[in-house]
Amino acid sequence: MNRLLALVLVAGRRLAGGLLLLVGATFLIYFTIRSAPGDAIDAITPMGTPPEVKEKLAADFGLDQEPLAGYVTWLGRSAHGDFGESLVTVTGEEVMTAALPAFRNTLLLSFAALLVCQVLATLLALVLGEPSSRQQVLTGALYFFTAAPSFVAAIFFSQALNAGIRHFVDTNGYEPPDWYPIPIDAKSIMQYVFAGLMLIAGDGLFMDMFNTVRAEISAVRNAQFIAAIRAKGASTAPHTLRNLVVPFISAFAARLPLVLGSVVIVEYFFTLDGAGYLLLEASKQRDFPIVVGLSVLFTLSIIVMNLVADVVRAAIDPREVARNG
Amino acid sequence: MGKFARLGFWLSGLIVLAVIALGCIAPLVPYEPADAVSYDDALVSPSLAHLMGTDEQGRDIAIRLVKGTEAFFLPGLMAAAISIVLGGLTGALTGYATGFFRTAVLGALQLLDTLPRLVFIILVCTIRDPSVMLIAFVAGILFIPTVATVIRRKVESLASEDYILAHIAHGFSPVRVLLHHILWLQCWPILVRQAAFVFGYVLFVETGLSYLGDYGVQEPTPSWGNMVAQVRSLPSDAPWPWLIPAAAIVLTISGFLAFGNLAARRGEEAVR
Amino acid sequence: MSEPMLTVRDLVIEFDTQAGRRRVVDGVSFSVQPGEVLGILGESGSGKTLSTLAVLGLIPGRPGVVSGEIELTLDGVRHKLLETLPAVVTRSAQGEYRKDDRRWGRMVNRQMRPLWGRAMTAVFQNPKQSLDPLMTIGAQLDESVRLAHPELARPDVRARSLDWLSRVKLHNPPRVHASYAHELSGGMCQRAMIAIALAREPRLLVADEPTTGLDTTVRQEIVELFHELLAAERRAMMYISHDIREVLFLAREVIVMRAGKIVEVATADDLRTGTGVRHPYTRTLLQAADLPVGEAA
Repeated sequence: MNRLLALVLVAGRRLAGGLLLLVGATFLIYFTIRSAPGDAIDAITPMGTPPEVKEKLAADFGLDQEPLAGYVTWLGRSAHGDFGESLVTVTGEEVMTAALPAFRNTLLLSFAALLVCQVLATLLALVLGEPSSRQQVLTGALYFFTAAPSFVAAIFFSQALNAGIRHFVDTNGYEPPDWYPIPIDAKSIMQYVFAGLMLIAGDGLFMDMFNTVRAEISAVRNAQFIAAIRAKGASTAPHTLRNLVVPFISAFAARLPLVLGSVVIVEYFFTLDGAGYLLLEASKQRDFPIVVGLSVLFTLSIIVMNLVADVVRAAIDPREVARNG
Repeated sequence: MGKFARLGFWLSGLIVLAVIALGCIAPLVPYEPADAVSYDDALVSPSLAHLMGTDEQGRDIAIRLVKGTEAFFLPGLMAAAISIVLGGLTGALTGYATGFFRTAVLGALQLLDTLPRLVFIILVCTIRDPSVMLIAFVAGILFIPTVATVIRRKVESLASEDYILAHIAHGFSPVRVLLHHILWLQCWPILVRQAAFVFGYVLFVETGLSYLGDYGVQEPTPSWGNMVAQVRSLPSDAPWPWLIPAAAIVLTISGFLAFGNLAARRGEEAVR
Repeated sequence: MSEPMLTVRDLVIEFDTQAGRRRVVDGVSFSVQPGEVLGILGESGSGKTLSTLAVLGLIPGRPGVVSGEIELTLDGVRHKLLETLPAVVTRSAQGEYRKDDRRWGRMVNRQMRPLWGRAMTAVFQNPKQSLDPLMTIGAQLDESVRLAHPELARPDVRARSLDWLSRVKLHNPPRVHASYAHELSGGMCQRAMIAIALAREPRLLVADEPTTGLDTTVRQEIVELFHELLAAERRAMMYISHDIREVLFLAREVIVMRAGKIVEVATADDLRTGTGVRHPYTRTLLQAADLPVGEAA
């Protein structure tokens, strides 16, 4: 019972810390807006925005107030989910009405890609086992090529695939798939699959994950307590798995920010209906309520992921509670 | 360090040297993008006259590739310098200090670390006039926590080592011990690795945004990113105008990351 | 003297290091009689730990055991533990051993699984690291008891676990039962580890420097605990240590290792009384412990 209480306390503290981080992050975002050169409202709105829209915007974002008072006004509205209205991209619509469904797609894509990446990295780590000189050519080459930016990987990939299909289209009346040529504007599930693959294959994500996963597996397998468990004739699998849960969740959570960055460019490349695409479109047209709303959502998702990872860690590893108790 | 890793170290070191050399000579090469256009020479395949061929507007790709290094070279160095210097110092301080000061700095670092980097860069670009220098400046700031964390861990583990305690007991000032014996002598491999990483990140963001075409380098000024962007309109039998800069991006980013890791590994083996 | 329960012949262990191949155990032979304690004495790096881990099939590092014979007799059945080794080891023209580590790993697992725990088990140094950090001591002890007595019902398992905790002289067994390794001291962890090992009821216990890293007073208590528990059940043990006093206190027969080789085989009585001809290294050890050094070779 004591342990449960300690766990609840840890969770509470983490939640408070997360809220504090959220306040700090929104503060940074708000003051980035206020730091706009000259008259802020002119600097951040598209050319030719009508004066009444500008005025409403200034009121929405507390730009007509002192910075701190303005921040409080804006934070209060944001806390209710009111991030103002879109200026251009989806004119007049509530920011969250447009941003939330797009952001859900982005989160789904990022989580799926990261999860598949972790599973593949684990499989490769299990197949290769301990590092040996013979594998170095393979891992070295993988290391080198997966470090390429995901959008470059996507260009290579789409060019190769398109060229392959063109070859068939030209030679034998073959019906091209509905996602040809990549990228297309029509929404096809394959575009999401390709985007996910490129997230895994680019930005060094896969080999970074692989190295971490392999090191963690090797650390647990070679741990003395595993030798002791083997020596007493018990099955080591439950012990190994249990001890890998925490490092695996940490490895996952630690890479989410990276993926949430890569996904922006990859989504734009594949013209996916997601937050990254919306963010770049809105930013291009200086539709800054959307940009700010999405920035807050991205930040929030990172904070929540870390919070969840921390609480799961504390629930599984009793040492974590002792450290924070 | 095995034979293969040594080979990788020298190869990636060669890439790094080549990029640095290109970055240094690029400003000396006279180039006026507007004058280079010559539609008669459009899409010439690589030959002696044009080593890497020409693009759709007949511009020589080799020269644009060299000039393209200007887009990221100084910004990359600046971002690396910002994150290394500020990250190294805050890392050393938080590893050494105790009490409220440490908690406050750690909190600030955690706050910076929470911001999604690319999204925040785009936010800044929406609000201020976008330039690669601005992007690099923001990237440098956003990488401070990453550097500070690895340095802090190292300092914390070293601070209790006997020889460090002995130095302090012998009357050397703790600041000198911290800066010289810990940061300089012990942490340089980590700093090299991080510097290469931040440089690679700036190249990634610059080429990525230039590829997308709104915040990075704008045509006709060359950037590897906007050179690759020509892929959208190129005929399939003339891939070199995008293939060559794309290969340059892959080689440079992978080369810098590999060099950072392998140089740091060599350094760590030597330090130990 | 009856037939030995364990015989090791010409054991050779090699490791790949940064500086190349190193032979860490070089042709070691010894045997253990049923119900008796064999002491293995040597400095760190002498190969004493590896020689015993080889018996358990738990060599960390590669290529590990490359040649030798290990025979274990259990209830009249003879197990040849390295019988399949030649199938995975080849020798190059330069005399270097090559070994298929993965295949050997599978072979060892298959062969040792029925023997681990039932025939022999181990207590290591660094007791805190020998316990699963995410499970309570009780859960790990229960696991041992259940493996030794699968027929027992839940409450009986727990009762037996608590009994073991009091036999290793831990105060307040129910509290220790519910504790995690990080909540206990090193000495307490080692007692718990001994309980976990003995609760499995092995014929042979391998104790690999079980007192290293513990406080002097705690070391004394742990050694006495071994003496008491083994004498009570006439369990065989290999006791590895660099402390000659501990070895002489517990063992009947002692081997002294140095640089991967056995330099001395003697009974504890002879060593204590200074009878017989002694290797110079053994003389140094005896001298350092203020014991009669015996005759020079």
